[in-house]
Amino acid sequence: MTKSLEVLLLDDEPIVGRRLKPALDKIGCRVEVFENPKEAVARIDQKEFDIVVTDIRMEEMDGIQVLEHVQKKWPRTKVIIITGYAKMDLAREAMGKGVFDFIAKPFRPDDLRRIIANAAEALGAPIDFSSINDEPVE
Amino acid sequence: MPIIIISSDAREIEETIAEKVVEAMDYSRLGDQILADVAAKYQIDPGQLNEAMETIPSLFKKLSARQWRYYLACVEAEVLDRLMADNIVCWGLAAHLYVTGISHVMKVRVLSGNSRGAMEIVEQKGLSLEEVQKRRTGELQQRKKWSLAAYNYDETDLSRYDLVINLDQIDPAEAVKTITGAMEYRKFQVMTYSMKCLSNLALAAKVNGALLKSMADINVQARDGSVVVSTKASARQKRKKIATIKELAGNVEGVSYVEVHVKKHILEKTA
Repeated sequence: MTKSLEVLLLDDEPIVGRRLKPALDKIGCRVEVFENPKEAVARIDQKEFDIVVTDIRMEEMDGIQVLEHVQKKWPRTKVIIITGYAKMDLAREAMGKGVFDFIAKPFRPDDLRRIIANAAEALGAPIDFSSINDEPVE
Repeated sequence: MPIIIISSDAREIEETIAEKVVEAMDYSRLGDQILADVAAKYQIDPGQLNEAMETIPSLFKKLSARQWRYYLACVEAEVLDRLMADNIVCWGLAAHLYVTGISHVMKVRVLSGNSRGAMEIVEQKGLSLEEVQKRRTGELQQRKKWSLAAYNYDETDLSRYDLVINLDQIDPAEAVKTITGAMEYRKFQVMTYSMKCLSNLALAAKVNGALLKSMADINVQARDGSVVVSTKASARQKRKKIATIKELAGNVEGVSYVEVHVKKHILEKTA
């Protein structure tokens, strides 16, 4: 049996974690959900996740700061940004800073699963998932 | 998978630099040779299509404003459809004016200047630099007018480009290296968001083309197969126009939902 992908999911809207966690569980990820960026960063300091999925606009700390923190602590970890405020400049800034992928809300959980699968492949731990139709994540 | 769109104040320079970038990066080319395909696909007279790409409609020309808009929409739809493929250098199709908000598209403007490098390029094309410079001032004014009329976008406004290269200061060979080097920046790499933006833009262009064939005053926005069409109509025509738009747009491949917003015609508002 292959090792599960360790995923940290950070979004200050509770519904996002509630929707996405089961979707990622289905493809064999072990997901820890956070709504508070400071708590998420404290957990990142303790544990090396394979993938960090983070919102960009949050109080106290934004997604770019989380990305920078992850990169300093765990350079191998892939960071994926999800945002409801997607704009070209922001997308370029995130890409320039080394984000693995960037996706605009709303999206279907399957869209995120596809990105997770790409990240897993880039990490040398490919996963196989079958497409499931889900409701979009707002 | 990035896309490079190259434009210049001198067509010969634009084409030569673009071809050299194609060679250097082993990318596909998307240039004005596709206009013949567009004309055949949409059953448009090729001469009129070329004219539409160069001039704006006037009372003295055969091309009506509605036809002009339709022809440009056909080119736009075809170009955006082809840009969905990987690794492309595009020029000569005004794509820098309508491919907007896509982070993996790098827009380059090459200023021809008066340098030896520019001279060599135009001489290879059998022209003299004086000839090109003489033509350039008039052409620039013409292109400015055309770009504003077609896309409300002044193509001579350099702040709109990601990279501007002046051949007076940078040799053509260095310009090619600069462009290919800039494409390595992570900022121009493809991401899920930018591909989605491009596919939305491509779908909107397809619907726009399908509608402009038989009507005017159309604005189309698309997102994940859902399309919002804004238009104008009199109170009497409103219902029929909505039904026609829903039918035409609904027949476009990739469209799953159509919403139509109708504003009153200005004449009716003042009546």
